[in-house]
Amino acid sequence: MIDRIPSGFHPFVLPFMIGMVFVLLYCAYGIVKIMIQLTAEDRKKFLISLVTPKTLLKNIKDIFCDCLLHVKLWKRNKMLGFMHSSIAFGWFMLIVLGHIEVILFIPERLHTFYYPIFFNYFVAENDATVAGSLLFFLMDFFLLLVLTGIALAIVKRIRSRIFGMRRTTRHSLINHIGMYALWAIFPLRLLAEGFTAHISGGSFLTIPLNWVFRQFLGNDLNMLPTWWAYSIALGVFMVVLPFSRFMHIPAEMMLIPMRNAGLKIRGARKGFARVQVYSCPNCGVCIDACPMSVSKANIKDCTVYLTRQIRRGNEKRIAEISDKCLLCGKCEALCQVGVEGPQLRVMQRSLRKYALEPDYSNIAVEPLVEAASGSKVLYFSGCMSQLTPEIGRSVESVLRKAGVDFTWMDRDGGLCCGRPMATAGRLDAARAIVEKNEKIILGSGADTLLVSCPICYKMFRESYDLPGVRVVHYSQYFSGLVKLGQLKLEKSDICYVYHDPCELGRGCGIYEEPRRLIGLSAAIAEADKTREESVCCGGSLGSLSLSFEQRRKITQGALDNLYTSHADAIATACPLCKATFARYSDRPVRDLAEIIDAQSTGYKQTER
Amino acid sequence: MMDFGFSLSKSSTLNLDTADLSLYKKLCELSPDARTCMACGSCSATCTAGPFSGMSVRKVILDLQRGRDVKAMVQGCMLCGKCIMVCPRGINTRNLILNLCKIYDR
Amino acid sequence: MKENIVIIGGGIAGMEAAKQLLCLGYNPIIVEQNDHLGGHVSQWHQLFPDMTPAQDLVRRLGEEISEANIFLETTVSYVNKLKDGYNVMLNNGVNIVCRALLIASGFKLFDATKKEEYGYGVYDRVITNSDLEAWFNGKQDPRIPDKPARVGFVHCVGSRDLKAGNSQCSKVCCVTAIKQAIEVKEKFPDAEIYCFYMDLRLFGKKYEDFYINAQRDFGVHFIRGRVSEVGEAIDGRLQVKAEDTLAGKPLKVTLDMLVLMSGMVCNPQATEIARMIHLDMDDDGFLRSRDNVYSIIESNRPGVFYAGACTGTKTVPETVAEARAAALGIDAYLKSL
Repeated sequence: MIDRIPSGFHPFVLPFMIGMVFVLLYCAYGIVKIMIQLTAEDRKKFLISLVTPKTLLKNIKDIFCDCLLHVKLWKRNKMLGFMHSSIAFGWFMLIVLGHIEVILFIPERLHTFYYPIFFNYFVAENDATVAGSLLFFLMDFFLLLVLTGIALAIVKRIRSRIFGMRRTTRHSLINHIGMYALWAIFPLRLLAEGFTAHISGGSFLTIPLNWVFRQFLGNDLNMLPTWWAYSIALGVFMVVLPFSRFMHIPAEMMLIPMRNAGLKIRGARKGFARVQVYSCPNCGVCIDACPMSVSKANIKDCTVYLTRQIRRGNEKRIAEISDKCLLCGKCEALCQVGVEGPQLRVMQRSLRKYALEPDYSNIAVEPLVEAASGSKVLYFSGCMSQLTPEIGRSVESVLRKAGVDFTWMDRDGGLCCGRPMATAGRLDAARAIVEKNEKIILGSGADTLLVSCPICYKMFRESYDLPGVRVVHYSQYFSGLVKLGQLKLEKSDICYVYHDPCELGRGCGIYEEPRRLIGLSAAIAEADKTREESVCCGGSLGSLSLSFEQRRKITQGALDNLYTSHADAIATACPLCKATFARYSDRPVRDLAEIIDAQSTGYKQTER
Repeated sequence: MMDFGFSLSKSSTLNLDTADLSLYKKLCELSPDARTCMACGSCSATCTAGPFSGMSVRKVILDLQRGRDVKAMVQGCMLCGKCIMVCPRGINTRNLILNLCKIYDR
Repeated sequence: MKENIVIIGGGIAGMEAAKQLLCLGYNPIIVEQNDHLGGHVSQWHQLFPDMTPAQDLVRRLGEEISEANIFLETTVSYVNKLKDGYNVMLNNGVNIVCRALLIASGFKLFDATKKEEYGYGVYDRVITNSDLEAWFNGKQDPRIPDKPARVGFVHCVGSRDLKAGNSQCSKVCCVTAIKQAIEVKEKFPDAEIYCFYMDLRLFGKKYEDFYINAQRDFGVHFIRGRVSEVGEAIDGRLQVKAEDTLAGKPLKVTLDMLVLMSGMVCNPQATEIARMIHLDMDDDGFLRSRDNVYSIIESNRPGVFYAGACTGTKTVPETVAEARAAALGIDAYLKSL
């Protein structure tokens, strides 16, 4: 393998070089800007994580698995997984092998950026080595892999349903330019290498192609234009990259280490939030995932469009999209990159200025502390449960049966947990409510806070500082009582389908306990979409602007999903889900606590 | 009018001729459903903040319709959303309160 | 050979229409899903405003239609349109061809368990208007205490309520609540009665007199506020939360019994039939009349007529009047063919 062009340069590499330098400068600028935007504490945390071997290894592993191999996507959708990993991993390998070729054969050219990319133009084959032919074979193999991926991508654009996607994103012009440039790169590379294969050598793809070309093209006049075209396609792709969805490629490599460092979204548009926004690949998985997409009018309010509008700075649309969302978290759960759509929205809401701020200074906590004192177990049912009195009654009854001494903190009304205020983006007001409740709970002397509403439970878990108090959802607590033998469950022959409330399932990761308890008290069936894919009931307080009629459609969509199980009744573990479903459901809706209460006996009864 | 050196205490009559309804009108632009309130009182009865601050969405809407101030009530709201659940007219009460906080100008 | 006319529903609308059609020389065939005629009225005790025993009305109508064909415990399995009429298939295998069809399927009471906050089916002392009427008629009901000191009536349960899917007014509940309040007071003279209302709609003849009676002679308390929540005290009594909107204050009261005035919703059977022969449905869930002024008894399909509460909430006198109108309408229609 020898250098064919003495200068080692040809002007056709310029488009690529311009694009490459531009992208690198842009990314460097972006990294610096984001690092400046991080809070000092977050910056320190992030930098330390980069030199900590454990997180460093995890970063490398995650980037390799998520960005290149798309392992998560494989698990979800084999076709999409293959498409993405063939393009990403294939391209990565082409670059790596390109460098290996340069290192092996012409190490003196390694300092040029373009040599590994355009290797086949600059070299001539002199004697075939085993290593050379193996490398050539691999180059052709990975090129074929990428081409297969591109072919699939084209098919997906035309008929997304083949890939199991009902709806895909409507892309902007710049995204289209980037996409067509990306699609063009690899066929052009194949052509270019095909035209040069009799000089530079090749393998199973390029040599036959070269032979075919030479059958009817007697000269090498086509060689340069195709290398030009290949370089231009690369250049165009790189130049539009920062302004298109393909920015997710470098952004995700920043997102993964930041997430592994334990960073949280703190600002609306800056720092980690910015990285999240740029990491959105605009794939549109969130569109089918979003429970609001039952109405066509809401499709443009999915996370993919939020990130787009944030990048464009369209404040009106940002506010609309942010306010409408139910914050059910399904888009985040299904997002391959892990863009935190709900949290991004809450932060957009937090930007809003209000002329009137809440004031809770007149609320005296002392009487509430007194009402909450007396037992080690403090039960908090939450505001909403007062509209679904069966839940509190059942929890109370089960606790009595199991002989648990408890106090019902908000039996006659209490304060809100603060989560509805927090999701509205009014974080200071929420903090004020949280502090009042903290005083009540800590003042009560309880060591266990038992919660039946998942909305409150998530808030108590994440936003409260309650040293010495175990915060527990009743599904966990009752599971414990069953294990200890304080509660005995007897099976009925009713078949329930369990609806995972957003805040309990995706919000707190509790999927198993409710199912186990239902399984012990009745038959259980699963709906089509379940667990992290469960569909929000439509009653969520997360949405600020959805109208009653729009919510009705969402509820109907969620019910239709539950009906796929053909169960006799619906079980859930959230007062809001229960009240919402009960409005339209054609079959009974029961809270988990009611089912347990109906099927349980306490140890006292069993002794008798 | 003869000046007796003192005046009668301020009239407690709601005078719709002089009442300032600008805030209500502005609110109705942002939350048109405010107009559909039939003053059933469900929201007030169920209100989490009500027992502490006298908050009542019904009263807020009515007072705005009569040009009266509502600041203290609205400041007590915790946005818990129970009122949305019970409103028989399907008014998005939470959004109404948020909009009111946004445009409040007294 | 007399001409067959199928009447779907054997409540007072269907019975009255059958009676008139018999007089007009037709052969009415009543299809009734229950084992008795009279529908909801047959379960009622007394009818406002004259306190007429409901059984008397049903009995009288029953005697007057003894010549009609009546299928009890029968439902319509299928209806299809023929060239000049309808073929009605019943679940007992009978097939009837008729040129005119009268839908008098009436209403269904709103399922009060759907409003869990009111505690029907949750607490032991919450009943509905129809439970109370059954008790007046002598049916035992353990939920009704022997000597209630305080009884509440909640108006508009499942009516005028978008959340319950019914934004319309059920029209008869206000006066029914007052009637039942008076009856309860007569049974328990020492009891205090509270009626929780949003608006009192006492539009009919003598209704206002009823209201005055309830206030003056029976001391019924009227509280303007919709009940939002019902809780249970340790002794099993009920704690009702509402806002006294006239006083502008939240209100709490402990009651021994609570009666929910369940509103009217369209009978699902009517919806089913409407689907089979493409009858228009109104957005309130009832069947849509040709118009609501002049042609209430007419549908959008030739030969299909309506009577009573299948087109909306109706009082007994309105239902009876509509049934007569429908019989005349059918007669006129058949003669015009």
